[in-house]
Amino acid sequence: MDLFLAQLLNGCALGALYGLFGIGFGLVFATMGILNAAQGAYASWAAIIAMYAIELAGLPFPLAALAGIAAGGAVAVLVDQLGFEPLRRFGPGNHQAAMLGALITSIAFWIMLDSAAGLMTGQQSLAFPPGSYPATVFQIGPLLLPAMQAVSLLALAVVGGGMHWLNTRTRFGAAMRAVGWDPVAAALGGVNSRVIVVATAGLAGGISGLAGILAGISTANISAGLGQGLMLKGFAAVVVGGYDDIRGTAIAGLLLGVLEVFCAQYLSSSWRDAFAYALLLGFLMLRPRGLFGGGGFTRA
Amino acid sequence: MSDLLEDLWAAYASTLGFAMVNAFFALATYATLSAGILSFAAVTYGAAGGFLGAQLLLNTTLPLPLIFLASALAGLVMAMIVAALFLRLESHWMALSSLALVLITRVVVLNTPGLTGGVNGLSLPAPLSMIWLVALLALAVFGFWLLDRSWYGIAAKSVREDPSVAACLGIDPRRIQLIAMAVSGLAGGLGGVLMAMMLQFVSPDTFFIHVAFTMIAGVVLGGSHHWFGPVLGAAVFTALPTVMQAVVPDLQDIANGAALLLIMIFLPRGLLDPRAIRLRRAAK
Amino acid sequence: MTFRSTLAALALAAGFAAPALALDAGTYKVGFVTDNTGPLAFAGTSFTRGAELAAEQISGGGYMAVGAKIELVQKEGAGDAARSIQSYNQLIADRNVIATACCILSPIAGAIKPIALNNKVPLVIYGATAPGLPSLPFVYSVTGLPGPAEVAMSKHIAEVAKPKTVAYFVLSDNEAFQGRFKASQAAMEAAGAKTLGVVSVLSADTDFTAAATQAIALKPDLMMVYTTQSPAAGIIAAVRARGWAGLMSANDAISPLAVFKKIGPPLAGVPFPVNFSADASETPKAKGFIEAYTAKFGAAPDLYSAQGYTAIWLIAQGLKSLPGKPSREALATALNKITELEHDVYGGLPMTNGQAGTRYTLFLNWTPDGKIAAWKP
Repeated sequence: MDLFLAQLLNGCALGALYGLFGIGFGLVFATMGILNAAQGAYASWAAIIAMYAIELAGLPFPLAALAGIAAGGAVAVLVDQLGFEPLRRFGPGNHQAAMLGALITSIAFWIMLDSAAGLMTGQQSLAFPPGSYPATVFQIGPLLLPAMQAVSLLALAVVGGGMHWLNTRTRFGAAMRAVGWDPVAAALGGVNSRVIVVATAGLAGGISGLAGILAGISTANISAGLGQGLMLKGFAAVVVGGYDDIRGTAIAGLLLGVLEVFCAQYLSSSWRDAFAYALLLGFLMLRPRGLFGGGGFTRA
Repeated sequence: MSDLLEDLWAAYASTLGFAMVNAFFALATYATLSAGILSFAAVTYGAAGGFLGAQLLLNTTLPLPLIFLASALAGLVMAMIVAALFLRLESHWMALSSLALVLITRVVVLNTPGLTGGVNGLSLPAPLSMIWLVALLALAVFGFWLLDRSWYGIAAKSVREDPSVAACLGIDPRRIQLIAMAVSGLAGGLGGVLMAMMLQFVSPDTFFIHVAFTMIAGVVLGGSHHWFGPVLGAAVFTALPTVMQAVVPDLQDIANGAALLLIMIFLPRGLLDPRAIRLRRAAK
Repeated sequence: MTFRSTLAALALAAGFAAPALALDAGTYKVGFVTDNTGPLAFAGTSFTRGAELAAEQISGGGYMAVGAKIELVQKEGAGDAARSIQSYNQLIADRNVIATACCILSPIAGAIKPIALNNKVPLVIYGATAPGLPSLPFVYSVTGLPGPAEVAMSKHIAEVAKPKTVAYFVLSDNEAFQGRFKASQAAMEAAGAKTLGVVSVLSADTDFTAAATQAIALKPDLMMVYTTQSPAAGIIAAVRARGWAGLMSANDAISPLAVFKKIGPPLAGVPFPVNFSADASETPKAKGFIEAYTAKFGAAPDLYSAQGYTAIWLIAQGLKSLPGKPSREALATALNKITELEHDVYGGLPMTNGQAGTRYTLFLNWTPDGKIAAWKP
C-alpha cells in the first residue's frame, strides 16, 4: 500500500510536467493553429539559461527560474515573429497554406535551436549545481515527498488554474480565442491581433520553459534533448485532454504520468509506452475531441 | 574525366537514392494533402511496407516486383484501416491523431520482435539498384500526373479548397478522401520497402518522427499544389545537409535550418507553384 | 622497346636497387564518420578528439615511415543511419581514402558494414559493440565486447561485499546492456546472491524517481545498474535522493568526468569496471596519451577518447607493415595479421578475429571530491 501511494505520487509529479508542457503546446495549437515542432526547444533553452543563471551569474534559484521562463518566452516570441508572422500575410482565405508553412518554419527553428542548445551545453548532459535548488524531502507518514515534486504539482495547479481563468473569465482570454477563431473578425471587433499573438506566444513559451526547468531538475538532465522527451508525452496529453481544453490537458498529463509509473511497477516496462499510447488511441476513437470535448459541427 | 564523374557518382549516389526514397513519402503525404487532409500516417504505411518487404526479402525467393507490389499493398491495407478510424475526425484532430499514430507505430514495432526484429531491427543484405528506384519513381510520378488530370484530380482540388462547396457540386468529399488515402497508402508502403533496401536494415527508428517531418517538409518546400513539387522538395530537403556540410561544416545544422526558414518565408507556396506559373504565362 | 616499357624496366631496376620495404612518404587519408551532433554527441566529440590526436601523433612522430602522414577526413553522421550512410559513401568515393572508421550505434555499424565489404575498404568500428560485427579481412572493432568486465566485477563484489540479494536496473531496449546484465546476473547467482527483481528502463527515459522507488522497495543488499550514461547517472541520483545509502554498482558509462560534474557526490563509492581512465591508467603509453590530450583539448580524455585514439593507431600499425604505396586490399590483409596492438593505452590489447579483447580491467569509483580511485568497499 505504501509502495502504491509512493508510486502514485511519483506518477502525479511526472504527469504534472507532461501536463504543464502540454498546456503550452496546446495554447499555440488552439489559438494559432500551429503544430509547433520547436516547442520542445523552448523547454531546453529555458532550462539551460536557468542553469547558467545560477552557475555563471550566481542568481538564487527563484530568480534563475524566472530568467529561464523569460528566456523560454523570449525565444517563443522570436520564433513567432521571425518564423510565423511572415506567413500570416496569407490572410484568412489561406489557412491551410499558412498552417503548413508554419509547421515547416517551426521545424527549421527546431533544428536551429536544438543545434545551438547542443553548442551551449558542449553536447553534454548537465545539471543544476547540487544545493542550488530546494532539495528537502518531506516525510508525510510513510510517504517521501521531495520538494521539487511538490513544486511541480503546485506549478501545474497554479498554471492550469490560472490559464483556465484567463481563458474563460478575462477579456484577454476572449481576445485570444477570437484571434484563434478568425483574426480578421477579431480585428474588426477591435482586438489588436498582433499584440494578442505575441502575448500568447510568449505565454506558451514561458509555460513550456517552466516545464523544462522543473524537468531538468527532477531528472538531473539538462541537454539539448531535454525538450524532445517532454514534447512526445506533452503532445499525448494534448491529444487526450483536448487541445483547446486546459483542464483536460492538465488532467490527461497527470493520468499519463500515473499510467506510465504504474505500468512499469505492476506490469511490464517494455510495454509501458504501449499502454500510454493505447490509451491515446482509445481516446481518439471514443472521445475524439478530448476528455471534456463537446460535439463537433461543420459549416455549410 | 570519367574517373572524376565516377567518383562524384560514388560520393553522391546514396544522397540521390535517399532523395528518391523520400520522394515516395512526400508523394504519399501530397496524396492526402491534395484532398485537404494533413496526415502524417504515411510513416505508418511505410513501416507496414518496410517490415513486410524485409521479411519477404529475407524469407522468400519472390521476385523483386512482387515484393514491391506486396509492400505497396501492405501500405494500402494500413491506409484503409487508418481511414476507417480517422477519416471522420475534423482536420485539426486528423493531423494530431496521425502524428500520435506515428508514436504508436514505433511502440508496436518495438514490441513485436517476431515480425520486426524488435530493438535490433532486421538486416537486409539486398542492396537496391538505382535503376529500380528510378523506374519506380517515374512510374509513381506518372501515376500522380494521370490522377491530377483525371476527374479525380479536379474533384480533389475542389474538396481541398472547400469541402462544403464540393459537396454542393455533387462530389462526395469522403469518397475523394478515401481514394486519396488509398493512393497515399500505396506510395507510403512502396516507400517503406525502398527505404529498408536503401538502408539495408530496418529498425523501430527507421519509421519515426523524422520521416514525418522529412515528408511534410518535402511537400511544402517543393510546392503542395503540383504533382512534381513533392519530388523536388524531397530532393532539396535531403540534399540540404550534404550541401551545408560541404559549405559550413562547423555550423551545418544551423545553416540547414536557416536555409529552410528562408525558402519558406520567401517562397511560401513552395518552389513549384502552379499559380505563379500561370500568372507568369498570363503576363507574357 | 617502347618508351613505356623502358620506364617500367627502369622502375623495376630502381626497385631492385633500393628494395621498397618502407611505406612511401606522403599523406594517407582515413575517412572518419563523426557523431559530433545529435543524441550521441556527448560521446561522439570524445571519439573524434581521440582520433584527431592519434592522427597528429602518428604524422608528427614518423611512426609509419619518414614523411608518412595520416590525414583524418571527417564527415558528420549525427547518429542518424541515413546521414551516416551518405557521409560514409562520400568518404570512400575519394580514392585516396585508404581506410575508414565509424559508428557508435550497432544498427548503424551494421548498415555501414556491407558498404565497406562491397567496396573492399578497411573499416574500423570505434564505438559499437555487437557480437559478429567484425568481418575479416575488412571490418574490425576496437571496442571490447560487453560481458567479461562485468563478470569480473560481479565476482569481485560478491567476494568482498558478500551481498545476499541483488536488484538490477536494466535498459530493456538495448541488446548490449541486456547481455552485460545477464552475464553479471549469472555470476552473482553462482556466488549465491539471489535476484530480488529487475527494474527495466528505456533508453529515452529521463525520470527515474519511480524506478528508484521500485528498487528501494525490494530492499536489496546491492543494486547493479546496467544502462547507458544518462539513465545510469539519473538512476544513481534518484536512488540516493530518496535516501537509500546501500551499495550500488554501475558500468563504464559513468566513468567520464561529465557524469561526476552533473551528479556530484552521490556518485561516490559506486564501483564500475573500466579498461581506461585518465585518473587510474598508469602505463607509459596511457600517460603520454593523457598528457598530450589534456594539452591539446584542455580536458582529460575519457574512455571514448581512448577508443577513437585506438582505432587510428590500429590503422597506422597496418600501414606501417606495408611497403610502397599500398592499396585498400593490401591494408586489409595487413590489418588481418595484427594480433596485438603496438601502441595501446590499455596495457595490452589483443586482436582476435578482428575483435579487440580485454586484458586488464580496473575496478574504480568516484571519490566525493571528484577523483577516480581504486574501489574499496
